[in-house]
Amino acid sequence: MRLYECADIIRSKNAGPFTLTIDLFFGDEERYSIAKGSTLLTVAGVAQAYGVEESRVKGVYFDDRIRAAKVSLLRWSSSTDPFCADMFGAHLHTPLADGELVPARSEGVPE
Amino acid sequence: MNLFQPEPRGAHAPRPTLRSVGPQGEVEKGSMSSPVRILGFVNHIAPVPDIEDEIRQAFEWGVDVVVAQGTGSDWGPYWLGSGEQVSANQAANVEPYVRAALQHGVPFVFSLGIAGADVHLETCLRGFDEMCERNGWSPEVGVVRSEIGKDYLAAAVADGPPVVPCSEGAGHQPLTLADVADVERVVALIGPEPVQELLGRGVDGVLTGRALDIGLFMALPMMRGIPTAVAAHAGKLLECGGLALEPGDSGRSVWASLDETGFEVRSPSRHARASVRSLVSHTFYERAHPTLEENPGGTLDLSQATYQETATGIRCEGARWHEAPYTLLLEGARREGFRAVTLLGVREPELLRQARTWTEAAEREVRSAPRFAAHVAAGRLRISTRIFGLDAVLGELEPNEKVTGHEAGVLVDVVAADEELAREAAYFAFIRLFIGPYPGRKTTAGNAAAPIMPVVIPVSAVYTFSIYHLLPLADPVEPFRLGVERFPRAGAVREEAADAAV
Repeated sequence: MRLYECADIIRSKNAGPFTLTIDLFFGDEERYSIAKGSTLLTVAGVAQAYGVEESRVKGVYFDDRIRAAKVSLLRWSSSTDPFCADMFGAHLHTPLADGELVPARSEGVPE
Repeated sequence: MNLFQPEPRGAHAPRPTLRSVGPQGEVEKGSMSSPVRILGFVNHIAPVPDIEDEIRQAFEWGVDVVVAQGTGSDWGPYWLGSGEQVSANQAANVEPYVRAALQHGVPFVFSLGIAGADVHLETCLRGFDEMCERNGWSPEVGVVRSEIGKDYLAAAVADGPPVVPCSEGAGHQPLTLADVADVERVVALIGPEPVQELLGRGVDGVLTGRALDIGLFMALPMMRGIPTAVAAHAGKLLECGGLALEPGDSGRSVWASLDETGFEVRSPSRHARASVRSLVSHTFYERAHPTLEENPGGTLDLSQATYQETATGIRCEGARWHEAPYTLLLEGARREGFRAVTLLGVREPELLRQARTWTEAAEREVRSAPRFAAHVAAGRLRISTRIFGLDAVLGELEPNEKVTGHEAGVLVDVVAADEELAREAAYFAFIRLFIGPYPGRKTTAGNAAAPIMPVVIPVSAVYTFSIYHLLPLADPVEPFRLGVERFPRAGAVREEAADAAV
């Protein structure tokens, strides 16, 4: 399953001009745990989705109470860039949302 | 602890007491345990049509202060640099709230002007003048101007501790005198202290330029002994008005009652409600970290915060505040040049197949043209082509390599040192795109549709955030100009005429 199908709400926005934050909300426990246990929602997975260094990913966080995740990364082009294509960062979710949710524990296990 | 002790009220004190008299006439007790009740909203968004019902409900519960933020950097550096307003009339949005606050004798606290420099604040204050005039109101209002003078900042850079970058994403170095000299305008996000200074004078309300959103909400509760952690936690939940409710709508308001250990949030609207989910998810909103937030003088820590449903709303507790040296965030905009654009529509199947190579060829021709080459080499001319229908949103991150739809839009974006150069380069690009040959061309009279005449649109000056730094401060009030003014201000009309003449 792709993250896009798994999450109910995918909220992409600036957190200050230079940081992008993507909030993900899941409709039930099952889908929340698929996302939480995925390789995509890790620092390495996010860095790969956006083609950036891992050091530019500020964090991947989870809140079990409300079945939510937060992904924050430094923007590669912000409103300070004269050619920034998305001032509010409101439409930068798709590279992450298109990612497949692969269980982290199955990584490296031979088939 | 930056807990401000209000000064004894002086000549500017028409109201009998800052501590409010509730709508039912009950006078609150002076002990630390009295709750402080806040009605919060967002003043750069128009209120919903039935906002009067919400305000009435909130005042039935009791309100000690009405607070709304109206500044932010989310709209980018253009507004700070140009001095223009995104929307000129924030006063219209606050009118029903100001009416209620004045009727009930409780103060209002608003930040105004989006970018929030003096010029933006003044535009809003004129709207406030007109609103007061129209309604026959004459409130005494504290005004905080939070633009930072270049002389002040230069002295701070020369004599003070380093003014360091706030975000590693900005690519900034510690501030230099050259940065200060080059910047168009600088504002600081004031904390609660300047607002407290003015509330302490017994004013009917406080209007500020650029401000820390939660600081506006923290000001009065902290003066009345509410712990900083509780005040900051409440501010974080209230700063976007009804957006923290379910369904979220920042055209609606939100209400909270704060005490020593926490606060309860309620929805004044019967069309929305506060829920654990809506409040916790709101603490995430536009924040890099879900539970830690650095503020002037300390960090708000919500890692142990609890949210409990009550009969009337949601009870929030458990916030912590870790003290830190006091710093204020500075935002400054520098002019980068002038932007001109040209727009073309493509429907021709063969051209859609090679859209990117076609625009790249035109860009190359601009860059290598003898009249432009030296400007490009000197960094005085930059050109970018966005193909809507291909990669205009994601740029290099876009996985699709071809236009997949039946038409596409081409926006040529030129940023040059001056307007004439920007227009010339955009026109040159338009002509190359319009008539330039490409392999397999059948459309030899013109390659694309031109939807707008003039084909070259001069857009505006372009700005960048050249300052996004932390200014260490011993006194959180000292850099700002505070005043108490009676609205409508007598000289407002004359000042407007004088400005127009400049």
